[in-house]
Amino acid sequence: VYQVFESVAKKYDVMNDSMTLGIHRVWKDILMHKMNPSPGTLLLDVAGGTGDIAFRFINYVRSARERQLQRKLKHHQNLSWQEISESYQEDKFKSLGDSQVVVCDINKEMLKVGKQKAQHLGYSEGLSWVLGNAEELPFDDDKFDVYTIAFGIRNVTRIDLALQEAYRVLKPGGRFLCLEFSHVSNPLLSRLYDLYSFQVIPVLGEVIAGDWKSYQYLVESIRRFPPQEELKAMIEDAGFLKVDYQNLNSGIVAIHSGFKL
Amino acid sequence: GQGSGSGRPQPLEPALLRFLVCPLSKRPLRYEEATNELINEELGIAYPIIDGIPNMIPEAARTTQKKPPAEGSKQP
Repeated sequence: VYQVFESVAKKYDVMNDSMTLGIHRVWKDILMHKMNPSPGTLLLDVAGGTGDIAFRFINYVRSARERQLQRKLKHHQNLSWQEISESYQEDKFKSLGDSQVVVCDINKEMLKVGKQKAQHLGYSEGLSWVLGNAEELPFDDDKFDVYTIAFGIRNVTRIDLALQEAYRVLKPGGRFLCLEFSHVSNPLLSRLYDLYSFQVIPVLGEVIAGDWKSYQYLVESIRRFPPQEELKAMIEDAGFLKVDYQNLNSGIVAIHSGFKL
Repeated sequence: GQGSGSGRPQPLEPALLRFLVCPLSKRPLRYEEATNELINEELGIAYPIIDGIPNMIPEAARTTQKKPPAEGSKQP
């Protein structure tokens, strides 16, 4: 799996756009809206190498923070200009409101790409990068408000271990969110999806990234991955409660959610 | 300062030290500025920090061998 991602890292984003016709961006946006993080949230994004989820998180809490500040100012109608500008100055330094995201990935190349992207796009505050294994996380217990793993869990050898680790590092009340390719039950759609996956995707892989094999692997790993109900059961086995899933695009992708209560 | 230019190691994000522990023992780590590593004293291993990114994969860690003091030897 490691070598697949080494060669894939640099072209990852381009391939994602081509394979999914840009729809992966929508899926990730939906994930963020479902999370609905408030300023001050601590997020651990696992297998998040190139930063897609992390950047969305930062944007989201930044605008939530701005709205928060605007509401605060509205309530300060009776203050003098002096007092208003002072209170604004204090809050200015916490544009993220203490929100933080840690991106953890097992692949150095993916993290490098992510870090470079962050620099280009101007993300620095509240963002850190760690090389680590989802099955053996280098984080202390009960630390994070939210744990996300977007299109990463199918590449984990021992999913049960990754889920246990997710449970361990989340605070009580914390939320587990998994965005992953899943199973299409509709037979016609399933046929079309298979056709697209096996005929088109490896070809795209060859044309764009010069790598047929890695993308063949990708397609096969999607087929092998447990379907919605099975993954739900695995998440429950790890101790999560109120486990549920939401199908996107008839099950091509699903968001699983659970809470540590 | 007297930096050696492009060879300077990137500093670790200080906030990370709040969360990071040894992936094996889940115990706290000590940041060693001299070697830019995160040390687990108990297990005697050190995790490297490369380009500001800590490498917390156990296979990548090196053992920090501590030589026992020889009898009657001078202080270094």
